Amino acid sequence: MSKIEIKKLVKRYGEHQALHGIDISIPQGEFCVLVGPSGCGKSTTLRMVAGLETISGGDVVIGDRVVNGLKAKDRGIAMVFQNYALYPAKTVYNNMAFSLQLSKMPKPEIAKRIADVAEILELTPLLDRKPGALSGGQRQRVAMGRAIVRDPEVFLFDEPLSNLDAKLRGQMRAEIKRLHQRLKNTIIYVTHDQVEAMTLADKIVIMKDGRIEQQGTPDEVFHDPDTLFVAGFMGSPPMNLIECFATDKGIKLPSVEIACDMPSAVRPGDKLVFGIRSDDIRPAEDGFEGVSISANVNLIEQLGTENLVHFSLGPDEMIGKTGGRTRITPNQEVSFTLQMQHAYFFDPETGRRLR
Amino acid sequence: MSRVINGLKENGTPYFFLLPCIVILGALLSVPLYKVVEYSLYDNVIVERNPTFVGLQNYSNLLTDSAFWSASVNTLIFTLGSVIGHIIVGTGLALLVNAEIHPRAQTVFRSLLILPWIFTAVVVALNWQLLLNPFGVINYGLTEIGLIDTPIDWLGDPAFAMWALLLISTWRGYPFIMVSFLSGLQSIPKELYEAAEIDGAGFFAKFWHVTVPQLKPVIYGVALLDLIWTFQLFPLVWLTTGGGPGRSTEVLSTMTFRQGFVDFEFSQAATTAVSILIISAAFTILYLRNEKQKI
Amino acid sequence: MKFPSVMKSVMAGAMLCAGSASAQTEIEWLQWFAAENVDGFYESLVEEFEASHPDITVKLVTQPFGKVRESIVTDSAIGLGSDVLGLNMPWTSEFLEIGLLEPLDDYLARDDNSFATADLVQAPIGKIDGQVWMVPLNAFPFVMHVNMDLVEQAGFTAPPTTWEEFSEQATAIAALGDGISGFGIPLSSQPPANGPILTFLPLLYANGGRIMDGTTPNFDNPKVVETLQYIADLNDAGALAPGAASRTGGVDLEEFIAGRTGFLISPGVHAQAIEGRNADLNYVAAAVPNNGTKAYRVHGWELGISSGSDKKDEAWTFINFLLSKDVNARVAAASNALPGNLSALDIVGEGAGDVMQSQIAILANDEPVEELRQAPNAVGSWSLMTEEMQAMLRGDQTPQEAATKVQSRWLDLID
Repeated sequence: MSKIEIKKLVKRYGEHQALHGIDISIPQGEFCVLVGPSGCGKSTTLRMVAGLETISGGDVVIGDRVVNGLKAKDRGIAMVFQNYALYPAKTVYNNMAFSLQLSKMPKPEIAKRIADVAEILELTPLLDRKPGALSGGQRQRVAMGRAIVRDPEVFLFDEPLSNLDAKLRGQMRAEIKRLHQRLKNTIIYVTHDQVEAMTLADKIVIMKDGRIEQQGTPDEVFHDPDTLFVAGFMGSPPMNLIECFATDKGIKLPSVEIACDMPSAVRPGDKLVFGIRSDDIRPAEDGFEGVSISANVNLIEQLGTENLVHFSLGPDEMIGKTGGRTRITPNQEVSFTLQMQHAYFFDPETGRRLR
Repeated sequence: MSRVINGLKENGTPYFFLLPCIVILGALLSVPLYKVVEYSLYDNVIVERNPTFVGLQNYSNLLTDSAFWSASVNTLIFTLGSVIGHIIVGTGLALLVNAEIHPRAQTVFRSLLILPWIFTAVVVALNWQLLLNPFGVINYGLTEIGLIDTPIDWLGDPAFAMWALLLISTWRGYPFIMVSFLSGLQSIPKELYEAAEIDGAGFFAKFWHVTVPQLKPVIYGVALLDLIWTFQLFPLVWLTTGGGPGRSTEVLSTMTFRQGFVDFEFSQAATTAVSILIISAAFTILYLRNEKQKI
Repeated sequence: MKFPSVMKSVMAGAMLCAGSASAQTEIEWLQWFAAENVDGFYESLVEEFEASHPDITVKLVTQPFGKVRESIVTDSAIGLGSDVLGLNMPWTSEFLEIGLLEPLDDYLARDDNSFATADLVQAPIGKIDGQVWMVPLNAFPFVMHVNMDLVEQAGFTAPPTTWEEFSEQATAIAALGDGISGFGIPLSSQPPANGPILTFLPLLYANGGRIMDGTTPNFDNPKVVETLQYIADLNDAGALAPGAASRTGGVDLEEFIAGRTGFLISPGVHAQAIEGRNADLNYVAAAVPNNGTKAYRVHGWELGISSGSDKKDEAWTFINFLLSKDVNARVAAASNALPGNLSALDIVGEGAGDVMQSQIAILANDEPVEELRQAPNAVGSWSLMTEEMQAMLRGDQTPQEAATKVQSRWLDLID
C-alpha cells in the first residue's frame, strides 16, 4: 500500500497539450476518483500513472519512488480496463495467474492466491471457463480478480463499469466499495459518471480541458463547488444556473427580482451567474423558509420517492424538487420557495465562485 | 421430386443466372480432372494413337520408382520449409509494419514489402539466379564480410540448392502471410497488450500470450492455404533450378512436367499429377473444414 | 501474333478490289523464328507470300523456342496442330514415334519446285525409315566465338585452333582475374538444359567422336570419355567459369557479350546477338578447336508439314516459297545464318561480314555432323548428360563414370 503523488504532470502530443500541470496527492489507502467529461485528461492521467503513456513533464511518485522512467510492470500497480482486456484464449484461472506466472511465483502459491481471490469475488465455479463464456458482470469480476491477485500497491480503474447495464453497475459499484474497505488499497478510479464518483470516492478530482477544476471530498465538491463547471457537473439533476444582475438588495433575473445576501465582492449592476440546486427549490406548500416566486409548471419528472418539477421563470427553465406524493400537475401556476441561503454566485467571465 | 421442381420454380431465377458460370466452371474443372485420371489408366496417351488400358499399372510403377520417393521427400521439404519460412518472415514483417511509426513511412514500407508478391515467377527466378550467381551480389557480400572464403554456386551445388530455393520461395511467398497477419494484428485490441504489459509481459511473452492466440485462427487457415499452394508450386522451381542440380530440387510438380514434356510419358505424368491431386485434396478438405468452423 | 489487324483488313480489301473470287485457305505456321527476329522480317515475308498467292493466307504462330516442342505435341493431340512446323533436328525421332510428321519425298519429287533437292543442306533431309521428314530453312555450324581483346591481353595473337592451344589460352585468360573466365559451360538443369549439346558435342565432333551408333545411344566410348576428361581438366585448371551447374545458356551468352568470357561455343546465329548487343566487343568467330578432326556440329532451322494437316498442298506451296533461292537468301541474311538452299550461298556471301565468311569457310572445309536427329529421347538425354556432367565437374565422379551413367540412364529412358 502506498501513497501517490502526482506533481505538475504535463502531457503533450506534438503541438497539442493534453495536460497542463496536474497536482494530486493521494494518501495511502485513499479512494481517489478522477471525473470529468470525455477529453478532459482523466484517462491520460491514469495511463501516465500506469506507465502506458510517457510523461512529458512533472513527476509521478508511488510510495517513495519517482516512477517516471519505470516500466508499467515495475510500478507496483494493477489496472482494470474499461473493456476488461481479458486474454480470450486463457481460462479465468490463467487470466488471473498470468502475472504471477511471469514473476516466477511457485505454482502452489499461485493456486492458493487465486483460490482466495476467487472466493472473495465468487469466481470459484468459473475458474475453468474462458472469458467468451462469461457474462459482462462475471468478466468485470475476473478483471478485478486479475488485478487483486497481484496484491499491488495501487489499483487503477479506467471506467470499469461503463460497459455494464444500469442495475449491474449499481451492484458492482457496491462491490468495489466493499472491496476497498476490505483491502484498503490506494485506488485511482476514472469515470465520467458523477454518481459513481460521489458514491465511491474518498477524494474527487474534477477535471476539464487538461486542468483540475477542483479536488476534495464528495461533500466538498458537491456542496462547495469552486467553479461554475463543477457546480454544473456534479449532481443530478444539475444545479440550476441562471444569468442575472446584482442589485443593491439581491439579484435581478429577467422576470423577477430576488432579495438575498450577496457576496461582499459583488457590486450592484455586476453580471452574475446565480446557481441553486433543485433540492433548495420547493413548492411553498412543502413549508420551507425562503424567497417566494410564482411560476408555471411545465413538466413533472417522477422519480418515485421524489418528483422533479420543471418550471419556467421568464425565459429560464428551472428544476425544483418535491416529495413523491405531490399533487402538482403541469400547466399549473405554483408558488415556489427558494432557499437562498444555499444559493451560489459565479463570475460568468472566469467561472470562479464568488464568495 | 415435385418439391424440388416447385422450389426451383420459386427460387430458380438466381440459379438460372448462375447457370453459364456453373457450366463453364464445370467444364473447365471437371473435364480436365476426369481426363487426367483417365489418362493415368492407359499405357501412354498422346504419343500412342491407340493407347491400351492398363489399370493401375502406372500407379504401381510410380510407387516403386525411387525418383518418385525422392521427389516426394523434396516436395515435403520444399513445402514445409516454404510455409515455415513464409510464416516466420511474414509474421515478423507484419509485426514490424504494424509498429507505430510515421504513417507515411508505414505506407511506404507496407507497399515495398508486398512487392515480391506481384512479380511473375520468371522475373523472380531470373533475378535470384543473378543474385545467387558465383559472381553475384550475395556471394560478393558474404565473401566481403568473411562468412565464406570462395564464392558458392548456391543454385548449382546439391548441398545448397534446396536451401537457396527455400530462400527464394520464402522471399516470394511471405507477403501473403504478412498481409493476412497484418489485418489480424490490427484487429487485436490494444488494451490486451497494455494489460499484458502491466502483468509484466516482455516482448516475447506478449507475442506468445497475446498475439499468437489472437492470430491462431488466421495462422491455421493461412498456413493451410499456403501449404496447398506451395505443394503444387511449379513455375518457381522449374524456372530457378529446373529440379537440379542432378535431381536435388526435383519436386512432384517438376517431375510431372518432366515426365510429360521432356520424356513424353504422358500417362506416367498423369499418374504423378493424380498423386498430387489426392494430397492437395486432403489439405483442401482440412482447409474447408477449418473455414466452416470459423463461420 | 504481331500481325496488325489493320493491315489485314487493308489487304483483304485490296484483294476484293482485285476481283479475286477464289476461296482462301488459311494455313498456320508454328515457329520460334519470328521470336528471335523482332524487326518484323517474318511478318513482311508472309505478306509477300500472300501477295503472290492470293488464295492462301498464312497465320504466323510465334512462340519462344522452349515452348514450340511442347506445343507441337499438345496441339496435335487435341487436333489443333499447325500446318507448317518450325522444327529442330533433335526432336525428330520423338515426333516420328508419335507420327506427327508428314513424309516429304513426294513433295520433293515434284518438278515445279523452286529449288533443286541436291542444293539443300544435306543433314536434315537424310532419310529415316526410308523417308525425308524435313527441309532446311537455314543452316549454321556451331562455332567458337572469341573475345580477341581477352586473347591478346593473355598474350596471344590468334584464336586457338587445337585443344592444346585452347586450354592454354582459356587458362591464361582466366588467370587475368577480375571475374574473367576462359570458357563457359552452361550446365544448368533449368530447361531446356541443353548445355551439353551446345558445348560438349561440338568439342566431341572436333575430337572425331560420336554419341550414337546408328540409332542406338553409344555414349560410353573412349572418345566421349576423352572429351569429358578434357572438360574436367579445363575445370581443374580454373579455365571454366564458376557455377557451371547453375549456368544457363542465356547467362553463358550474356557473359560473353559482356566481355567476361574469352570463348563461347554456340551456334553461329548467336553472332547476331553478340554484335547487336555489344558493338564494342573485339569479336571474331572461328572453328571449334579440334583434336585432330576437322568436323563441326551442323544445326539449323528446319521446316516440316504436320501429318494431321488437311492443307498439305498449301503448306508445301509456302515451304517451296521459303526455299526459293532469292527468298531463302534473305531468310538466311536476316538471321545471320547460312541458307538452307545452298544455291543462295553466293548471294548471302556477297558483302557479308567476317563472321559469316568464317562460317562459310567452315562449311566449305570441314565435315558436318548431325546425330541428334536420329537419337531417341534426345531431349531427355540432354538432361541426363547435364546431370552427370554436373556431378563430374563437382568431383563426384570420373569422366568414365559419367559416360557410363549417361549411357545406362539413356537406355532406361528409351524402353
